[in-house]
Amino acid sequence: MMDRNSIKDTGILEQYLLGELSKEQQLEVENILKEDTELREYFNKIESDFQNMAFENAITPPPHIKNVILDTVQSQSVTKSISLQAKKQSTIYLAVAASFAILFMISSGWLYTQWQQSKNEIQLVQNETSNLKDRIVALEQNLNETNKWYQAINNPNTLQLVLKGNQASPASSAITYVNHKEKTVLLNPQGLAILDNEHTYQMWADVEGEMIDMGVISTGKEMIAMKYIDHAESINITIEPSGGNDHPTVERLIANVLL
Amino acid sequence: MQDDLELIKRLQNQDNTALSLIYDKYAAALYGVILRICKNEAKAQDVLQETFIKIWQKSNSYDPKKGKFFTWSYRIAKNLALNSMRSPSKLIQNEDLSVYKNESTEEPTIDLLQLNGSLKQLEPHHQKALELVYFNGLTHREAHKEMDVPLGTFKSYIKQALKKLRAAYQKELFILWIIIETMI
Repeated sequence: MMDRNSIKDTGILEQYLLGELSKEQQLEVENILKEDTELREYFNKIESDFQNMAFENAITPPPHIKNVILDTVQSQSVTKSISLQAKKQSTIYLAVAASFAILFMISSGWLYTQWQQSKNEIQLVQNETSNLKDRIVALEQNLNETNKWYQAINNPNTLQLVLKGNQASPASSAITYVNHKEKTVLLNPQGLAILDNEHTYQMWADVEGEMIDMGVISTGKEMIAMKYIDHAESINITIEPSGGNDHPTVERLIANVLL
Repeated sequence: MQDDLELIKRLQNQDNTALSLIYDKYAAALYGVILRICKNEAKAQDVLQETFIKIWQKSNSYDPKKGKFFTWSYRIAKNLALNSMRSPSKLIQNEDLSVYKNESTEEPTIDLLQLNGSLKQLEPHHQKALELVYFNGLTHREAHKEMDVPLGTFKSYIKQALKKLRAAYQKELFILWIIIETMI
């Protein structure tokens, strides 16, 4: 950077004042003036000198010029404010449109998620409903069955007979319900001891010394219907190979009851 | 003359009345410069209008820290006046095809263009130097050629001229003050 006196000598300040400098030089001078108060004062003096000279050589312009300028400025500021207002208005419309668009976007997004959620919920409800239906069917079946057993048992013509296990299976017991009038036999096999997979219980009716098959007892059920045999004198339960036998294995008789 | 910062602030806030007051204050001084560059009253009046409209539009680019408001306005006026001289259509319009540089050597066509005040008390070469750069809008480089002296010499002319002017002003300050006050 140049020192103070050489700056004064170069006449750069005068050139700056007269607007003869390039943009870069202008900035440089402005920075120098900002930092150097003495140079700044010197520059103020030059400014005053030139200004005084200008005022001494002032020429009064025709009076109508001022009106022309003020009118121009007035109309400019009017058009400016009008265009500004129009711009403002259009930006308001734009803003309104944009906010509507955003609103629609958000609401449709919300509706979409709602829709998806509802779809899922409907699916759940449908599954639940079919589950319930199945359960109702199962319950109805169960109820019908139970009702059937109940009707059968609660019949005044029904005899309840208990088959107690002999020494071959002392823990076993079964209850049988015999209705001679309606010719039905029901059995509750739950008291029978559990057998291995190779064996099964089978029920027999003794008719005049001959054992007649009443059916294989499938365990795990509360109540099973057996075949009613006319003129049976006693009911017997034996252990037979799984699938049942044509003739009872008498050695493996576990319970019997006389009718 | 003191810069009225309050008035300029109002101008920057696009206050019409401020522009009116600024016009009253500065128009004649600026017109003196413009007319001396243009040498044509019709053209100079157009430039004066342009100048004040530009002052109005660009008022926010004026920074009081960088200098006086008048200096800033002067630069606008000078540039617009020089541009109007360079514009060929305007030259034809004014039926004056000569380059403005040459005009300054001719006798001014209008008596008003005679320089007044303290400037007249200066030696002719000092007077001429200031006239060329300030009232004719020549750059230092153009003006020293015009006067046929080296650039360094020309710069010292300007410096000395301003120094002498200042001395003269100080004597006349009181009178000047009254003149300006009556102008306002």
